[in-house]
Amino acid sequence: MIGRRVWVGLGSVAAVLLLWFGLTTATGFVSPGRFPSPADFWLSLNQIATRGYAGGGLAAHALQSVKLVVMGFVVAIATGVPLGLWMGWDRRAEAAINPIFLIIRPIPPLAWIPLAILWLGLGDGAKIMVIWFAAFVPSVINSFAGVRNIDRPIIEAAQMLGTPRWRLITEVIAPAAAPMIFTGLRLSLQASWTTLVAAELVGALAGIGFVLNMAQQDIYPGMILVGMVTVGVLGWATTYVLGLVERRALAWNVAGRD
Amino acid sequence: MGSIRFDKVDKVFGPASGGVKALDDINLEIGDKEFVAIVGPSGCGKTTCLRMVAGFEPPSAGIVSVNGKAVTEPGPDRAVVFQQFALFPWKSVRENIELGLRNKNLPKAERDGLVAGALRLMNLESHADAFPHQLSGGMQQRVAIARAYVLDPEVLLMDEPFGALDAQTRVVMQEELVRLARVNPRTVLFITHAVEEAVYLADRVAVMTRRPGRIKEVLDIRSVRQAESWDRHERIEDVMDLESFVHLRTQIWKSLREEKGAHGV
Repeated sequence: MIGRRVWVGLGSVAAVLLLWFGLTTATGFVSPGRFPSPADFWLSLNQIATRGYAGGGLAAHALQSVKLVVMGFVVAIATGVPLGLWMGWDRRAEAAINPIFLIIRPIPPLAWIPLAILWLGLGDGAKIMVIWFAAFVPSVINSFAGVRNIDRPIIEAAQMLGTPRWRLITEVIAPAAAPMIFTGLRLSLQASWTTLVAAELVGALAGIGFVLNMAQQDIYPGMILVGMVTVGVLGWATTYVLGLVERRALAWNVAGRD
Repeated sequence: MGSIRFDKVDKVFGPASGGVKALDDINLEIGDKEFVAIVGPSGCGKTTCLRMVAGFEPPSAGIVSVNGKAVTEPGPDRAVVFQQFALFPWKSVRENIELGLRNKNLPKAERDGLVAGALRLMNLESHADAFPHQLSGGMQQRVAIARAYVLDPEVLLMDEPFGALDAQTRVVMQEELVRLARVNPRTVLFITHAVEEAVYLADRVAVMTRRPGRIKEVLDIRSVRQAESWDRHERIEDVMDLESFVHLRTQIWKSLREEKGAHGV
């Protein structure tokens, strides 16, 4: 059955590629100035991979973006998950923090970019800050909901066993909330990529977003597509790694195994 | 030692005035090593009685005490077996049983010995490293009972522990509990809505009224059990066939039925 799924997936990817070729190279229905043909794409990929573009090779740009995403993501979850757990566990903490959260939350993360650049310039710091703001929210909300949704008897069982406070948090509450926490982490990772590329588009000296920005100024559709595809592949790869971690961490969870 | 005492206990849910009165003037004493079952119509507050002894819920009036000390919070001297097992799904069977011992700061060697004993007692030795989701409901409840027993609690609180099990597993677990009570007698407060189960297991059965729950009568089972020597019979169905058993069961049934009839159910 899994084999069948894979074949169907490969089939639909092949169909999209064929459609692409058909609309560009084969019929000329979409002009090369609007959307690159497979050949344009290949040439652009070849150029950035071997000779470089926008001040560096593809690997260097990709590495720069991955580095910032990972750093911003780690900072965001290292602060967001504990805060969410705390708000879930302590009603007073929730009552105090939630109003602030409700005001800050509707501000789109991208709206922080000007302020971040003003404070920290075009370097890495501003981007990490913006990713932090964007990726923080889903981590907090899902960790919070994870704690609130724990079956009451699980907590009561731990209490009647005389479980001390710290052990209750690390061995009962955190694992019980873990499936929801991981949902938050996946959303945070997604938000990290979205905001990073946007931040790099606005102001950067390297990275995939910077490549996209330069390619737009050079009116270079082939390179734009290379940048987009690279973001897609990198986003998929980091999500895949997170999925591996999740499967290891939640091996006990039948529902999570799917 | 493990005695439980309800002294003029009321419980009101919601605001103190205008809330729902769940329990009204509960008075009950359970002696050391005595097995008392509470039966009653659903919603009568029998589980609330247990939860107050466990320390999960405070009484609105009156005092719930264990060994003469008022209950204020949950603790390992009052082990609870929950209807839905409430095992930690991320911990193996062994780790589930061991947690309470770790909380008591017992050294590793001592813990290992006690866990091994509990596993043997509940016939779980071959499942020590399994996770709860890999076990059947009956096996999971064995783990929960082992987790409670290993604490060597003064009282054991069982909240419809077999309510989530299928009929056959239920019978096996009931026989198992009788065996346990002989090997290792405890003070037990057992909540159930199954009348046969209560009569088969308990020394005394307390019958509760509908909400607001009151204790309507308390029947002495032990004297009948001893006089008619129920314990000669290994199997539950043989005990349930005895005239003395049927008589007690019918008596409780009628008492419960009056409760329902009074409200036109």
